Amino acid sequence: MNKDYILEIENLVTEFTVGKRIVHAVNGVNLKVERSKTLGIVGESGCGKSVTAHSVLQLLPPNGRIVSGEIRFTPESGGETQVLSAYKKTSEKMRSIRGKDISMIFQDPMTSLNPAYTIGNQIMENLRNHEKISRADAKERIIKLLEELGIPAAAQRFNEYPHQFSGGMKQRVMIAIALVCNPNILIADEPTTALDVTIQAQILSLMKEIQKKHGTTLMLITHNMGIVAEVCDNVAVMYMGRVVEFGTVEQIFENPQHPYTKALMQSVPQLDLSRDVELASIPGSTPDASIHFDHCEFAPRCARACARCMEGFPEDMEVEPGHIVRCKLMEEGNVDEL
Amino acid sequence: MFKYFLKRLLVLIPKLLLISAAVFFAMELMPGDAVTRSIDPELLATLQPEQIEALKEAKGLNNPAYIRYFSWLAGIFQGDFGYSLTSGTSIAKLIAVRLPATLELAVFGLLISTVFGILLGFVTAIHKNTPLDYSCTVLGMVGISIPEFFFGMLFILLFAIQLQWLPTGGRFDLENPTFWGHMKHMLLPSVSLAITLIATLMRYTRSCMLDVMGKDYIKTARAKGLRENTVYIRHCFRNGCAPVMILLIGRLSMLIAGTTIIETIYNYPGMGSMFLGAVSSSDTPVAMMVLLLTSATTLVCTFLADIVIAVLDPRIRFGEE
Repeated sequence: MNKDYILEIENLVTEFTVGKRIVHAVNGVNLKVERSKTLGIVGESGCGKSVTAHSVLQLLPPNGRIVSGEIRFTPESGGETQVLSAYKKTSEKMRSIRGKDISMIFQDPMTSLNPAYTIGNQIMENLRNHEKISRADAKERIIKLLEELGIPAAAQRFNEYPHQFSGGMKQRVMIAIALVCNPNILIADEPTTALDVTIQAQILSLMKEIQKKHGTTLMLITHNMGIVAEVCDNVAVMYMGRVVEFGTVEQIFENPQHPYTKALMQSVPQLDLSRDVELASIPGSTPDASIHFDHCEFAPRCARACARCMEGFPEDMEVEPGHIVRCKLMEEGNVDEL
Repeated sequence: MFKYFLKRLLVLIPKLLLISAAVFFAMELMPGDAVTRSIDPELLATLQPEQIEALKEAKGLNNPAYIRYFSWLAGIFQGDFGYSLTSGTSIAKLIAVRLPATLELAVFGLLISTVFGILLGFVTAIHKNTPLDYSCTVLGMVGISIPEFFFGMLFILLFAIQLQWLPTGGRFDLENPTFWGHMKHMLLPSVSLAITLIATLMRYTRSCMLDVMGKDYIKTARAKGLRENTVYIRHCFRNGCAPVMILLIGRLSMLIAGTTIIETIYNYPGMGSMFLGAVSSSDTPVAMMVLLLTSATTLVCTFLADIVIAVLDPRIRFGEE
């Protein structure tokens, strides 16, 4: 089955230099993002999910760099493929993709808008950076977009400053900045983490609505399993800078194979859980990312680790169509059946 | 917002009165009085005490200090700045001659320092922790710690005496009354004036830029695919520049008050050298007037700074509703 991928990440390695140490944030990530679908990337803090997303747009801080790997972007179905990782960080080509073909929204809408400019000005900045459009036309288009995104009295709020908006409204403004050029891909880096729960649901359903309307591909980075189950089509589970399990939502939630994924699922609180049962947690903590492993990174914390797990890296195994697991146990044909 | 400015403006009035009183009574504490100070000591010795007394009475010097303070103040409000004790010319006229010279020098010095200071601050912030940054930081420390009169004398020694490229001082060249002849006189004083300010501005700009560079909205700006320079100017500097602006506005008082040290070293006929001359020859009315003008300018600058901060930050602009 040949699927239509809009974005393919192959063997991505991204490192950070912190003082004299090198932190291996992303260690050979392989990801394929299907066109017009939603991909969820989950994992603990520091597992490299955010860095992977930032690597796509090369928005890494000055001490971070893509060491190797390839990021391929195919804006049109069956069309030409661009190798994003070959572009320089500040090159014209890379800049023409940022905010236009691939947009990104960030975790904290409170600090992601520039306090010195009106929100209209900040949205217009993106639009006029990528399209030749008069101020008046741009304003008209932006007000229409803001209304679509559920901002009341958009024409009036166009001239207001970020501090006059609530958190949820600010995130809508961020989404407006990201969407104003009709991007192919919208990367959302924990877009609801800083918002309260009722607003979270609104923002998520808004993003799904946009996807339905414009066929936008969504990449949703989160550590909230509930969000993944609700919004995503495909899921990538990351641990220590690698994708350990990849599959459709059904595959991951109903038939998780990697011990890490299983442990994650068990540590999600359930409403029907008895009061006496202690919530499961994964023993130990995420190792220091500057340590270099020569075997499965999860083995030291894994309940099912055996001697083989300490000998060399596991390979990616396709346990069922489209369901990929990176675990030694799978290599022995040890697939669990539900 | 209007209320905010009105409040700031009204506060200036009591401040100014307080300063004028301080200036007046400080000068009052100086030994002697206007009559004894304005008369040649040799001539003074030949005068009879009654004659001196009569002069004092005629000048109103026997009135209590507070009466003289108010009449001085009333004079200023009527545009009567008084007369110099040494030359007898009206102070208004003296200022009219000196102020353009000081303005010229200060504008020139401020321009040089603003352009170079902010530019260097930008460059060192963008190229943080590179050899360029380190060398600029070291030079900046040197510029801040060495007082301006040292550079003044060094430049005279080097460019005027050794190399003989530029004149040692003065303002006009009677043999070469062209624009460039004039510029030659401006160059050394304005550069010596600018060095400290360049260094200070550079360090301020650098740290302000670095403060802002790590902010999330800078990432947002980059995510829009903006040019790096646009990101730096429109997003970094615009948000971080408030302290730089306040520093600059604080120095604007130099436009009126001049710079005593540099003007004296280069024998430049500005307000600063006039002030020094007035103090050393006990010409109290002139010294008082310059002091008052200087303080008034500084006060106006603080008001200006308030306005600029409000313009830069919409949270202040809309806060006081």
